[in-house]
Amino acid sequence: MARWWLIGLLLVALLADFIANDRPLIASVNDEVRFPVFHEYGQALGLVDNYAPVVRNWQRAKTDWAVWPPVPYAAGSTDLKNSNYRSPFGTQDTGERARHWLGTDKLGRDVTAGLIRGTRVAVLVGFGSVLISLLLGIPLGGIAGFFGNDGLRAPRYHWWGWTVGGVLGLLYASVSLLPYFGLESRWAILLLLLVAFVLGGLLLRSIFSLLSPLKKETAFPADTVVLQGVELFVNIPALVLLIALIAIVNRPSIGIVVLIIGVLRWPSVARYLRSELLRIRSLPYIDAARVSGIPKWRILFRHALPNALGPLMVVSSFALGGAILLEAFLSFLGIGIPADEVTWGSLLRQSRTYPQAWWIAVFPGLLLTVTVLAANLLGEEG
Amino acid sequence: MRSFEHPVYLIVPCPFYHPKKRPLLTYALRRLLYLPLSLFLLSLLCFGLRAITPGDPVESQLPAADSRMATTDPAAYDASYRRAAAALGYDLPTFYFSVENAALPDTLHRISQPAERRMLRALTLASGNWPAVEMYYFELRKAAYSESSEDNLNVVPITRRLLLQNDPAAMTAAMNTLPDGPLTAPLKAAYSRVMDGKQRSQLLLPALRWHGSNNQYHRWLGKILKGDFGNSYLDRRPVAAKVGRAMRWTLLLNGITIFLVYLIALPMGLYAAGYRSSRFDRYSTTLLFLMFGLPSFWIATLVANYFTTPAFGMDFFPSMGFGDIPDGASWWSVLSIRASHLFLPVVCLAYPSLAYVSRHLRRSAVKELDQAYVTTARLKGLTMSQILWRHVFRNASFPIITLLGGLFPALLAGSVLIERIFNLPGMGQLLYTAAMGRDWPIVIMLVLLNGLLTAAGLLLADLAYAFTDPRVRLGGSSTTTSSNTVA
Repeated sequence: MARWWLIGLLLVALLADFIANDRPLIASVNDEVRFPVFHEYGQALGLVDNYAPVVRNWQRAKTDWAVWPPVPYAAGSTDLKNSNYRSPFGTQDTGERARHWLGTDKLGRDVTAGLIRGTRVAVLVGFGSVLISLLLGIPLGGIAGFFGNDGLRAPRYHWWGWTVGGVLGLLYASVSLLPYFGLESRWAILLLLLVAFVLGGLLLRSIFSLLSPLKKETAFPADTVVLQGVELFVNIPALVLLIALIAIVNRPSIGIVVLIIGVLRWPSVARYLRSELLRIRSLPYIDAARVSGIPKWRILFRHALPNALGPLMVVSSFALGGAILLEAFLSFLGIGIPADEVTWGSLLRQSRTYPQAWWIAVFPGLLLTVTVLAANLLGEEG
Repeated sequence: MRSFEHPVYLIVPCPFYHPKKRPLLTYALRRLLYLPLSLFLLSLLCFGLRAITPGDPVESQLPAADSRMATTDPAAYDASYRRAAAALGYDLPTFYFSVENAALPDTLHRISQPAERRMLRALTLASGNWPAVEMYYFELRKAAYSESSEDNLNVVPITRRLLLQNDPAAMTAAMNTLPDGPLTAPLKAAYSRVMDGKQRSQLLLPALRWHGSNNQYHRWLGKILKGDFGNSYLDRRPVAAKVGRAMRWTLLLNGITIFLVYLIALPMGLYAAGYRSSRFDRYSTTLLFLMFGLPSFWIATLVANYFTTPAFGMDFFPSMGFGDIPDGASWWSVLSIRASHLFLPVVCLAYPSLAYVSRHLRRSAVKELDQAYVTTARLKGLTMSQILWRHVFRNASFPIITLLGGLFPALLAGSVLIERIFNLPGMGQLLYTAAMGRDWPIVIMLVLLNGLLTAAGLLLADLAYAFTDPRVRLGGSSTTTSSNTVA
């Protein structure tokens, strides 16, 4: 059940434009068959030009026949005939068009269409931020749990060379090389920094390898380093910092919200994966793999991690629910999400100005609740 | 359920007893060392936030009359800006040291207007020739601050714009539009010297510069450590007083909430575990699961919409603030006014935490009830209540202690919404208005305070956990469960 709800949400988010839109899916104008919704995608990608006589308002356009989406309204578009909060059960002046199933807001914007648009934002923030926290947390937690404090062994000059040399290389590149080459493109800058890191690390490693005190073999304390990083992050008041960070950003955008939520949440992923791998690495099949001479990184990625990822995915559905809730929370406060974006939280905020419109308060909240419950239920199974 | 096959359980009550135990004191000291490090990083973060925030703090402190001079008399404006920046310490280097390009002068921070500083920086990083840039800056200011007259009508506006322009391509374009004249000839000569590109190899050297303790961060931190958080940008009142007043209300709200949460959650979780799969357990588990998933801000919105406004004739509760207490009111009327204002916010703030704590307690109590000592207690003829409160509660409550550490910051965060929705003048509301109005002194103080509370809460919880549960192998890696409960 819970799984199907989340998959359905994903589908709604992907197909939002085909479910709620104020232009038809297929329409015939003057014996020319048009696909207005598809065409928009084509235009956005720069593949096709405008249809020759531009139809600005499909509601009033004269068509031979048209196939409309199930909800023939778009999230942002106003319907002034039905403005001032029409109830779903009250009288609506929609003419031949479908009723506003879940009512309208002050400007006559359709609540159903708003909810469908909001699904897209919620899914984007939820899955996006979980993806980012997994991308950060899986390598860190995996290395910490699998290698522990004594699994990664190399001569000292290796560790010192790479950390000190890499950092020095990065510093030199950003302070001196970037202005010298005057690079503009973001990818070129990234490439330059990467090359500087690798060159600096290799250089210092080969210099250090000549010094005899650094030749002793030691283990890299991966577990301690990651755990201390986790502890430092845990001490940061996430939500307060989130509000402060997002309020700084000049132009609010969903991407930044996704990034910040994702980065603030990696510690819990790392911690969970670490404890999973602590358990897995002492299982017999890992020992068997080790004895048969498989390299340790290969054991980690091919044998240990795949077994830990299943439970991690289940548990990270908690994080999914949390992120969706946080997004609703932020857009309810009006922080971070662009003002013209319709989300579940922004609908809820609208209901504050006119409490009589219960439909604006109840439906987005219900959707949010069921989603969070579904995510929690899925996480509980793990 | 385990019975007497393992008599060792009767002697050693705990199956996972760790004989190798590090002393508590070492652990406490290690954790205490961590606190300043975390706070130091947090302070760096706040300082960084202050630095990258859009808006000019010096300009916002200038008197209105001085700000108006920016267009009419830029030379006088520059002088008064310089004075204000010096008074606020904005003409100092940013940090104790800096790693910079060697072509940049080590006194660039003395140029107090940020836009001009950015312009000089961009030019130097493009050319590598600071003496030429300095010469150009001198000529440019001479032209920009000169009196407008018939023959240099265009010169003054263009050069004033050039002072703020930090894109070399746009600078060259603007330079080409300048008419020739006695003022612009040396300026153009200086600019072409900057742009000749002969000194670009200078850019390849980095420089590590030590600025000593007379820097912006040191001053800022020193003031904060002395308790001087400065004045609010919005109404120029001292930050500490504003935050202090708001904190009183937030503490009241959260104190009542935590008290209620534990008062209700503990018996609920314990009895649900004790009478497992009874009707009470089934209903309460479902109810708690629903409560845990129900977004509190939705419930708060609904409750605020329908019970505090006359929309549906159900305005049972007052809608704003904590209530005004008339002079000489009796203690009973004070209590009832406060209670009517606090009831809904406390309920909305409490129920998610209540579900959380109660579910945790049930889970750990169920685990404890499988232990052999419970069987022993039952064989001794103790009633379920006695077993639950005397034996199981103590052992099952260890996770609850760590929860308390994470609960406090989570509640503070949660009160941002509750205070917004119910219009309570607490810290959450203050944070919201300050962040929206870019009132950085207040935001920074709240972030620091929250960080301090979070860190202290986690530390205290971990220590309390260690003190009460002798089994915890402290300093070991896996057992310290500092739980992070921010929803």
